[in-house]
Amino acid sequence: MAQKLVIVGAGMAAAYLLQELSRLDHGLHITLIGEEPDACYNRVMLSALLAGEAAESDLAMLSTDQLHSPNRLLTGTRVRAVNLRQQTLLTDNNETLSYDRLVFATGATVATPDIGMSGVEGIRVLRTLEDVRHLQCVAAQGRRAVVVGGGLLGLEAAHGLNGRGFDTSVVHRQPYLMNRQLDAEGGEHLRERMAQSGLQFFLQASVAALRASDGKLHAIVLQDGRELACDLLVFATGIEPSMTLAREAGVACERGVLVDAYLHTSDPNCYALGECSQMGTQCFGLVAPVKAQAVVLARQLAGADGPAFALEDWPVQLKVSGVEIFSAGSVQSGDEHLVLRDAGSGVYRHLALAGQQLVGAVLVGDKRDGIWYAQLIRDAADVSGYRSGLMFGKAVSEAMRLSAVAA
Amino acid sequence: MTSCRTTCPYCGVGCGVTAEINDATVIAVTGDRQHPANAGRLCVKGSTLAETLTTEGRLQHPLVRGERVTWNSALDSVAQKLQAVRRQYGPGAIAFYLSGQLLTEDYYVANKLMKGFLGSANVDTNSRLCMSAAVAAYQRAFGADYVPCSYADLEMSELVVMVGSNAAWTHPVLYQRMVASRKANPAKKIVVIDPRRTETSEAADLHLQIAPGSDAYLFVGLLHYLLGSGNLDTRYIEEHTRGFADALAVAREIDLARVASMTGLETQQIEQFYRLFGTTEKVVTLYSQGINQSASGTDKCNAITNCHLATGRLGRVGMGPFSITGQPNAMGGREVGGLANQLAAHMGFDEADVARVESFWQAPDMAREPGLKAVDMFRAVEAGDIKFLWIMATNPAVSMPDTEQVRRALQNCEFVVLSDCVEDTDTAAYADVLLPAMGWGEKDGTVTNSERCISRQRSLVPATGEARPDWWIVTQVAQRLGFGKAFDYRHPSQIFSEHASLSGYENEGRRDFDISALAGLSEAEYEQLEPTYWPCPSGNPVAEPIAAGRFFTASGLANFIAVQPALPTFDEDAERLLTLNSGRLRDQWHTMTRTGRVPKLMRHRDFFSVSISAEDAMARGLAEGELVHAQACSSSVTALIRIEDTVPRGQVFSPIHWSNQHANRACINGLIPAVTDPVSGQPQLKFSRVSLSPVPVSGWGLLLTRHLPVLPAAAYWSRVVASGGYLTLFAVAASAQLQEVQRDLVNHLQPFATRNIDYQDPGSGDFRNVGLAHGQLVYACYLNADRRRLPDGDWLTAQLAVAPLEDTLPLVAGFNPGSPVSGRLICTCWEVGERAIAQAVKAGARSVECLGEELRCGTQCGSCIPELKRMLLAAAS
Repeated sequence: MAQKLVIVGAGMAAAYLLQELSRLDHGLHITLIGEEPDACYNRVMLSALLAGEAAESDLAMLSTDQLHSPNRLLTGTRVRAVNLRQQTLLTDNNETLSYDRLVFATGATVATPDIGMSGVEGIRVLRTLEDVRHLQCVAAQGRRAVVVGGGLLGLEAAHGLNGRGFDTSVVHRQPYLMNRQLDAEGGEHLRERMAQSGLQFFLQASVAALRASDGKLHAIVLQDGRELACDLLVFATGIEPSMTLAREAGVACERGVLVDAYLHTSDPNCYALGECSQMGTQCFGLVAPVKAQAVVLARQLAGADGPAFALEDWPVQLKVSGVEIFSAGSVQSGDEHLVLRDAGSGVYRHLALAGQQLVGAVLVGDKRDGIWYAQLIRDAADVSGYRSGLMFGKAVSEAMRLSAVAA
Repeated sequence: MTSCRTTCPYCGVGCGVTAEINDATVIAVTGDRQHPANAGRLCVKGSTLAETLTTEGRLQHPLVRGERVTWNSALDSVAQKLQAVRRQYGPGAIAFYLSGQLLTEDYYVANKLMKGFLGSANVDTNSRLCMSAAVAAYQRAFGADYVPCSYADLEMSELVVMVGSNAAWTHPVLYQRMVASRKANPAKKIVVIDPRRTETSEAADLHLQIAPGSDAYLFVGLLHYLLGSGNLDTRYIEEHTRGFADALAVAREIDLARVASMTGLETQQIEQFYRLFGTTEKVVTLYSQGINQSASGTDKCNAITNCHLATGRLGRVGMGPFSITGQPNAMGGREVGGLANQLAAHMGFDEADVARVESFWQAPDMAREPGLKAVDMFRAVEAGDIKFLWIMATNPAVSMPDTEQVRRALQNCEFVVLSDCVEDTDTAAYADVLLPAMGWGEKDGTVTNSERCISRQRSLVPATGEARPDWWIVTQVAQRLGFGKAFDYRHPSQIFSEHASLSGYENEGRRDFDISALAGLSEAEYEQLEPTYWPCPSGNPVAEPIAAGRFFTASGLANFIAVQPALPTFDEDAERLLTLNSGRLRDQWHTMTRTGRVPKLMRHRDFFSVSISAEDAMARGLAEGELVHAQACSSSVTALIRIEDTVPRGQVFSPIHWSNQHANRACINGLIPAVTDPVSGQPQLKFSRVSLSPVPVSGWGLLLTRHLPVLPAAAYWSRVVASGGYLTLFAVAASAQLQEVQRDLVNHLQPFATRNIDYQDPGSGDFRNVGLAHGQLVYACYLNADRRRLPDGDWLTAQLAVAPLEDTLPLVAGFNPGSPVSGRLICTCWEVGERAIAQAVKAGARSVECLGEELRCGTQCGSCIPELKRMLLAAAS
């Protein structure tokens, strides 16, 4: 009889896992349980969908075959509890399922600060397809939205709202946007580019209070007293791994569900991957490590040998508001800086060296060769032989190195 | 489309050119197959003539102290000032400084006005700098400035001795004729005498790399040898010459050992040359600036002529002492009397000649004494003795020796008039009045080449702006001075006809220069005039005048000159000084006022540099491409260093072409003292002693701009014209910060562009800026502490033509991995670079023909063939 695999959570991590499993001969009986009515869609594209740049069908991650590869697919279903000893779980419609292997792919939630006005209409997050569908239904023209958080998610949300027609502002606590991935000048380039599409930014600012009447939001107050009128407030101030289910079941957790390099949790029959997981001290919010986790975990589940999951300094690669962004390593840790500025076309590239090694790369507006830079950073390669070509990518550097050898 | 036959305006070979004209534009030029000088060949400079016919940089309107005025007003002010100076200070206070670029008709009119109507013989010409020693030597030996050889003689000879000539670069078509004739006659030998290894010496059977300036020892020693070897033609000496005993008396002192010690040559080598000369009947000795530009240039020329007289080897086919000129109409200038010590039509200042010309011209105020020669003329200008100076078609602020003195003179001169076809010359900066003259392709007249062949330079296109013929300008001034009747020319044919008449006037075979057969040509006949050799006296059959051994001296005999050889001396000599030698580059002409506008011609040698040997470089701690100060005569130039094994130890070679228009400190003639030959007055431009010292720099910049750039204060800059813009290399002094220079430059450049890209890597001193507008490159500037890390100039300039520029990253990188870098341009005609050739050689090409088939290099003008051979040779060894 086939081994029973239950995957809790039907987000992107589960989708990657199913993709990987479909490549392997595993013989597993798979049950996929997701809370949302939709399963396995590309969350990264929600802002594009909101902005009207993509259709819902564009968000599908799995082929029809892959989507039907689980023997059971339970959407709109929450798992209430897991019994590790009995290897069973209980859903919110009181069904008990038994498992041989269980995967926690429960994702994360948006961290919303407590500003004491719960229940006020107009305060939202932008996390799910349902969130987008809701915003698609409300009239946007002439309405004002404020996004709190100028990181990756905040900017995505702001871009989506702006595209939807909201008069959108971003309130960001730090002096420049995407401060985790960019440097000050890169952040400024990004701000300028996004401002060109009508977005407004309030940097080094935070929300001190809300103004509402009749249960409806109509303004926010910044810490310096400035008041921004708004009908919609979207929080994008970071995510928190959803690990309550695992923790309550007795699986070891800290910020997330603790896993080892093979994605095993503290329970021998349970695994975790994606945003809910934690390895060492690190949690995962980017696509690249989650995809890597899926490769490792699929081989574990299929009983095949495979490499362990290794922590890396994954580059951040994305497109915000049409602006390509790439960030790898840490430019702050460099002691020499190579900078290319092309303000006219919104391009900013910053490479940082420490000794003979590349240690950080920030690319705004033109992320060509980002992967190569990430590789150089990862390999701690000696770049002194082609330093003058480094900024201009692999082909130029290689040719320069060769011509220097030939000359 | 029409085609028109004309003559090339560059060197003294005087090649015929066929121009294809469409819609008043010369669209192509090819060699004229019917012209006897070149029979269809053309060198790279000639081939690119069409590209020099641009309005860019042309002087288009008369200017008086920078203000545009009408012709009338400009001519009035010239005439009034001339008259006022002459009235107040006398005829000695006025002077004309002319040029071998003028047509014979222009020359004739200027000379006539000055020497016949203004009473001054202060008419000299830049030919003084070029071959006045050869003129003086011919006059001393033959009693006339008679060149007793033709190009055919070079082909028919069994031995060509080239002295002080890099004809492969300076007279390429003639050089190719010699090489071709040797190919047809394997017994033929070519000997080259030059301190430097050149493209010419590479192809020689024997290269005598003599000590600079020691040529006279070699030829006086040759006379000594000929006596001992029994190769003298004693009968010829007795019947047709005089002075042999005196010449021999000196020569007896100069034995082989003496020659060897003075020239630095091995006795074996010297003997090999002497034996060749002694035993070969058909010998042409071809000499040029390397002989002429010397403080004893006339003696050197006579030392050569002595050897031909002693062996009776002149006046017959395939032999003679042959001076080749540098300019297209140096000979024409000599014919009309353009030198201060000549009167007109090969007549001098003896009473009979003056009276004859006076009566012919019906001249009211004849000059009766020779005037001041170039160097003395500019000294008199500085001293204030000459107060009115009219310069035509030349650039003495660059081409004269001791250019600082010349500039001081021009600065101090009360009134300087400059007629020229270009506006931005160093000399123009000092002119009170600038008069726009027609340039090549516009003007109409005749020129005479080195073998006494008169050819038509025809008008191909309309004048640029208000440009006028030089003869017209002079005539207009003459009319304003009240000489309307004697200067009522309406067409150059009338001037030519008068000139031809004068040559035959009371001649009767006494004077060598007689072209009276051409007097009275109608305008139509003049228009159709085919290349014509002189002498061509009216009525008489044309015969080689000296074939019968009869010369133009009073006695009818040729003169030996007792030449006492001497080495050049220098005032402040010191061990550490290097000997400066200067010369021409393959693709450049004079001060680059024309060739400097043709991008193709700037790719063989781009930036101003001087060359030294590896040993001298090492001794001074200099490496290839570094910056150096060369100093002498309280003047200096700043140049890149080229290390070349062609330059002997102890010497520096510098090209002569650079002026302030193309580099910041590159006037090499400033380093040359105005030492002149006492006989001819020709300055010793081929010799100076200079000190070299490295110039520390904090970095280098390469700047490409669409428009003429304004540069920051630089220790060095040198600029070339590129297709669609300018490419400038500059160096930042060690005392200045690269980053600050970059900031200044960028502040200046940014307003020209709508998109400015900036790249900085301060750690390695890398600063790059690129500006674009409308998707096209406007400027690109690269600074680096290391010059080798600047981008390739050829690749970079090619980016000017790219539109729209899709990807700017390679541009800022200054490097495109997809495009092969061509390297130095070897074949200018087909634009084949060094690297393509090297690759072809590596892939198995073993001959020039092979390379030609594969890459087309060397298949058009052939100027690059010596370099191709050298590359093949280097690869083989």
